[in-house]
Amino acid sequence: MFLLPWLIGFFGLTLGPTLASLYLSFTDYDLLTSPRWSGLENYEYAFFHDRRLGNALSVTFTYVLWSVPLKLTVALLLAMVLDRSVRGVAFYRATFYLPSLLGASVAIAVLWRQIFGAQGLVNQMLFLLTGMKGPAWVAHPDYALTTLIVLAIWQFGSPMIIFLAGLRQVPQDLYEAASMDGASGWRQFRKITLPLLAPVIFFNLVFQTIEAFKAFTQAYIVSGGQGGPVDSTLFYSLYLYEEAFANFRMGYASALAWLLLVIIAIFTAIAFATSKYWVYYEDEGR
Amino acid sequence: MSRHKPTGMRTQVARHSILFIAAMCMIYPLLWMIMSSFKDDAVIFSDPTALPRTFDLSNYREGWTALRVSFTTFYANSFLISIFAVIGNLMACSLTAFAFARLEFRGRKIFFALMMATLMLPYHVTLVPQYVLFQKFGWVNTFYPLIVPKYLAVDAFFIFLMVQFFRGIPREIDEAAIMDGCGPWRIYWKIMLPLSTPVLATAAIFSFIWTYDDFLGPLIYLNDINLYTVPLALRAFVDGGGGQSLYGPLFAMSTLSLVPVFIVFLAFQKLIIRGVALGALKR
Repeated sequence: MFLLPWLIGFFGLTLGPTLASLYLSFTDYDLLTSPRWSGLENYEYAFFHDRRLGNALSVTFTYVLWSVPLKLTVALLLAMVLDRSVRGVAFYRATFYLPSLLGASVAIAVLWRQIFGAQGLVNQMLFLLTGMKGPAWVAHPDYALTTLIVLAIWQFGSPMIIFLAGLRQVPQDLYEAASMDGASGWRQFRKITLPLLAPVIFFNLVFQTIEAFKAFTQAYIVSGGQGGPVDSTLFYSLYLYEEAFANFRMGYASALAWLLLVIIAIFTAIAFATSKYWVYYEDEGR
Repeated sequence: MSRHKPTGMRTQVARHSILFIAAMCMIYPLLWMIMSSFKDDAVIFSDPTALPRTFDLSNYREGWTALRVSFTTFYANSFLISIFAVIGNLMACSLTAFAFARLEFRGRKIFFALMMATLMLPYHVTLVPQYVLFQKFGWVNTFYPLIVPKYLAVDAFFIFLMVQFFRGIPREIDEAAIMDGCGPWRIYWKIMLPLSTPVLATAAIFSFIWTYDDFLGPLIYLNDINLYTVPLALRAFVDGGGGQSLYGPLFAMSTLSLVPVFIVFLAFQKLIIRGVALGALKR
């Protein structure tokens, strides 16, 4: 009885559609006529012929590989600075977190487009400081993706809060003992902070990577809805959306969705498989 | 409060300068947007630091009615969807979580595992079939696709959060209630829910923010401008009204659209930050 809403939702809106999507991925389907079985054609096209997909994958991987490590590094650094400061922690924590909360909105993406525009905030600052005239970053194929990576880093607040909570768990006497033994700050960081924080780093890494693979709204708005200029910000999700809802190739879009599922699953599996070499859980092996 | 040894004056100053500079970098884009929303277009793009001379609201007036339909409609739509979504999420997810945390039934473990698995499922996989389904129902260009799923507890994430919380409530309380002749409905309604206000509030806050900010859902399902939500309206603003003279109003409407989330943040900062720190919340 209590489970009824969830059961309907699970079978009707999650499991059912997931299986339907698998079936559709082997068909041609334009919404108007009924799906036509086409075997492996969609996958064959995706693997061997679709240049734009190759491009979308490269854009998405570039984004994930740059934004996630940089975001986590900034988050960890500032969490460590915050952990040691007494005054104003609450204020700074709130200030750093705010962009994470607002960042998903269209308004921020709109703002980003203006900040990195030809006469946006960045170029105005550049002109004031150096007298140079910057390009229109968002409209330049070499820089457009970078602006989105910067936007991702700007939202380092939520991993930072998780790091901060993790740092609070590290027993202080470890540092004191290490100081007595004459261990330098860097050594303390490597030998105490990093190992004890490994589970939190692992969690943030997996979570942020999955989120980065799914990025859509910001790329849509900043690129003007098409992944431009010249497909330089054609994120995977954006390409999938275009195939499904602009070109009405529902079958192919379903195949793309399953490919993404497999990519994310492989990534997660690798993360978990390697984690036993670097993630140390305190209650293990006791 | 201080867990660390007192440090030298110099390191303290260095730390605070790092923090201050970082905070400025974080906040300046937002300040620039707010300041620009009060300025003339000519001034926005010539001087990045100037405070607006007057608090001129003309950008707000102009922006509010710049599209064919006024923002009154867009805000009404956004709030309508968000409020129904919050109610749906709270009801459906708490019922489900109660069942998983407290009731014995066949297949509980399997269902729980399946529920957890849906946490990892990227939304892309269900996107197309759900659209096909809702289209068959004739629900395109209605709010139903954005609201009804919340009443069917599709946000596994909130269920997970609530299960964790419910498990922390001592079982002796419900056992005592059963002795007094309470059925599961009364336990759920009279005991669990009143004891769970913190987790319900956290779920409500995030459910509101995510629904209010949602862009992909409305983008797919709502084509009629009378049904647009605020994010869709902003998109239309950028696309359609991209003329030179509309930057001020665009900044004004962007600023305004962030106000609800900002108010929620100010009001519930502690709950939000604790929620994130639990590591269970994604943004």
